[in-house]
Amino acid sequence: MSTAVLQHPPPTTPQRRPLAAKLKAPGWYRVLWTTPLGFGLCYGLVTGIRAVSGYTPVLSGKAITTTSLIGVPFAFLIGLGAFDYWFYWAAGRRTRPEDHSGHGAHSWRDYFRVNTDHKVIGIQYVVNSFFFFLVGGLLAELMRAELASPGAQFMSANSFNELFSVHASLLIFLFIIPVFAGLANFVLPLMIGAPDMAFPRLNALSFWLLPIAGIMMVASFLAPGGAFSTGWTAYAPLSTNVPLGQTFFTIAVQFAGASSIATALNFLVTIITMRAPGMSFFRMPLLVWANFSTSLLVVIATPFIAASQFLVLLDRALGFHFFDAGSGGNVVMYQHIFWFYSHPAVYIMMLPGFGIVSEVLSVKARKPIFGYRMMAFSLLAIVVLGFTVWAHHMFTSGMQAWIRIPMMITTAIIAVPTGIKIFSWLATLWRGILRVDTPMLFVYGFLTMFTLGGISGVMLAMIPIDIHVSGTYFIVAHIHYVLFGGSLFTIFAGVYYWFPKMTGRMYDETLGKLHFWLTFIGFNLTFGPMHILGLQGMPRRVADYASKFAGLNLFISIAAFALGLSTFVFLYNVISSWRGGPRAGANPWRALTLEWQVSSPPPVFNFDTIPTVVGGPYEYGVQDAVHGIFQPAVSAGGGSGGSGGAAGVGGGGDGPAGTAHGPARE
Amino acid sequence: MEAASVSIPVEHDDHHHGPPEANRSSRVDPQLLGMLLFIISEVMLFAAFFTAYFFLRVVNHDAWPAKGTSLPIPVAGTNAAILLSSSLTMHWALTSAKGGNRRGMKTGLLMTFLLGMTFLTVQINEYVHIGFAPHDTAQGSIFYGLTGLHGAHVFIGLTLLLFANVRAFRGHFSPEAHRGVEIPGIYWHFVDIMWVVVYSTVYLL
Ligand code: HEM
Ligand SMILES: [Cu+2]
Repeated sequence: MSTAVLQHPPPTTPQRRPLAAKLKAPGWYRVLWTTPLGFGLCYGLVTGIRAVSGYTPVLSGKAITTTSLIGVPFAFLIGLGAFDYWFYWAAGRRTRPEDHSGHGAHSWRDYFRVNTDHKVIGIQYVVNSFFFFLVGGLLAELMRAELASPGAQFMSANSFNELFSVHASLLIFLFIIPVFAGLANFVLPLMIGAPDMAFPRLNALSFWLLPIAGIMMVASFLAPGGAFSTGWTAYAPLSTNVPLGQTFFTIAVQFAGASSIATALNFLVTIITMRAPGMSFFRMPLLVWANFSTSLLVVIATPFIAASQFLVLLDRALGFHFFDAGSGGNVVMYQHIFWFYSHPAVYIMMLPGFGIVSEVLSVKARKPIFGYRMMAFSLLAIVVLGFTVWAHHMFTSGMQAWIRIPMMITTAIIAVPTGIKIFSWLATLWRGILRVDTPMLFVYGFLTMFTLGGISGVMLAMIPIDIHVSGTYFIVAHIHYVLFGGSLFTIFAGVYYWFPKMTGRMYDETLGKLHFWLTFIGFNLTFGPMHILGLQGMPRRVADYASKFAGLNLFISIAAFALGLSTFVFLYNVISSWRGGPRAGANPWRALTLEWQVSSPPPVFNFDTIPTVVGGPYEYGVQDAVHGIFQPAVSAGGGSGGSGGAAGVGGGGDGPAGTAHGPARE
Repeated sequence: MEAASVSIPVEHDDHHHGPPEANRSSRVDPQLLGMLLFIISEVMLFAAFFTAYFFLRVVNHDAWPAKGTSLPIPVAGTNAAILLSSSLTMHWALTSAKGGNRRGMKTGLLMTFLLGMTFLTVQINEYVHIGFAPHDTAQGSIFYGLTGLHGAHVFIGLTLLLFANVRAFRGHFSPEAHRGVEIPGIYWHFVDIMWVVVYSTVYLL
């Protein structure tokens, strides 16, 4: 495997191209005219239709905005060049031969292009997600400022509703879900020995849908009547009756959802059809398994939230009556459709994290994952069971009472595969040679905090308890223990773990540890007391509260500010290390999985030759264990599965990782 | 000792400027698999609309169709026949493409496209004359919701077919390379089957 990054001449962008050429070529210049043109078309279309069919007034800001929210993003994408290839293809014209100019990034500008390299896209995803993480976090701090004492401080009740709605929607749809997809985008093809994703152009398109969705959600603050204010759950008929800002949510979710589905499809096809020779399903790293399971969930479940928002949009924009009980509509139906997506979605937000934890834990404990197959099967069990529990969010909704007991039972059962995973990780730690650095600290944080969140989850599954605390801060505590203590901690673990691979630089370990401890302590001080508040009956999603809750709320607000500050440690560390950190070697963690066997950052095309996999991915501490080799395996290289020898001859060169790895025991 | 990888030094090929050929770990064609997965998610989208239908019709126990309205079962039935026959022409186009019969392929594709257009025209005509609007009742909403969702899929299918037609008439596709006929074809069959489901539940049941 050659470490020499395949150097391409920088893409042919002569500095002084005539303006006309710039305006025609895909990119931001073209965006400058396609986007207004798109708006003009939407404006004309709506106004024309209204004039022809005799609606008054002919000029309707609402109708124009709704249509533009759908149309303008496409105009933008066309300008940027996300569809160019397909247009050529569809028109039967000669598609330009792949010159690989869409691969690799030569300067920061290349991150603002439609780039088809999965590594560039991975970084685009991660950076974009963290941007919205910061915006969402800022909104949370504003909320905590309002909640620092009872009564109104500096905002109206409705502004508060807007804040928590946009906060949750950004963090769920624009941070947790896509950041996992971003990390996997970067490492998954490397891990399975593929040169790229199966559909690189679709991959690029999936990314560019995300900033659109995010900007739309944030832009809703500018809408007359304010941002959407119905929570991330957007229950009808509330959501069909609030001002225009809600439409921004309804449509933004479609873009984020389409992005999710396209990426999931891409992952599934990549995993199924592009594994290296010898990499049978049971030799795949658990991160790959985790994204396989997540992608199944996304492909099957996400259409449900798309549908729920289509129905709301039809009610809002065209006067349909899906949720209007007076005309024969049904409001509980919204919740069924929404939760049939959104319960599986909580696993969409967690399973990739499970994968990250397995990778980090095994490497840092220098031990094989305990019960590898059980780990894979429990992921699949969660996928299946995840579709059987949705109504546990609806115990107090007034749905048919008989649904409750079965849902309680299935919800309790789904904790079993989750528990299996927790115990497997603990068993992996058992007698391991632990290296407790930043990624590992975050894994520890995850193990403890997620377990607490899981326990409050099982409490909530019990109907009587749920009826008591549903709609209180107990739910807020549960959500944040699973999503912050669970998902976000694994995200941090993953970002630190793959930081050297993605950037070629090492982060600062001391700052990393500081970040962990500040986050860990700040997190518990912020969200721990919310359990108590909830049990005492403080309702969630309300700007004001009874004075008996004042003490704890002030405490929580102070803790929340400290927690917010801890993010700056992370930002400083990441930015300064990326710019000037010490060079990281190819394999600083002495890991076995394939992404660590190429240089850091990896070469443009990942591999010169596709490696051959001859053993499991986690054989740490096992004598003479090998996972992948960079030579054509003769007669299936001692392993089962796979088509040995298919790896193509040639390639080679000095493996950056080489054979020489320190002894298993430190 | 654990070795992350063993590699044998082989002379590096400096002229190697593209990505290495990916290993094919499955016999399934990637594009085909992608289309099948996409269809699964489309089926789920319909499933969600059918959930709405289920709640409005079964759980709510309301009259179907709403009092004072009726559904043009024969018209929609004729439309079903049109759409189903377009599946046959589609199949013909694909078999011809595989067999190297360009004329058959082009005629098949064109007929499929025209039949699909006919379907849409009939459906729009049906909307115009049906006598109730989506904003009259919830039954009206879900009627238009489901048939409209299906209509939108016919439209997507037609767009794909249009591409296939353009490419076919511009001389693309051969017995070896006919994915551009096959993949839209699969989608088209899905759209057809979906109409059978929508027609039976909305009109017949
Ligand atoms: C052992 C596993 C879990 C169980 C048994 C469980 C159970 C529950 C129950 C019963 C509720 C409904 C509470 C109510 O609204 O009255 C709930 C809410 C919630 N859970 Fe979990 N949960 C589990 C794990 C998770 C995980 C892993 C996540 C995400 C990573 C998660 C995210 C959420 C969210 C976001 C809500 C609140 C939704 C809302 O109303 O806004 N849960 N959970
Ligand atoms: Cu749930």
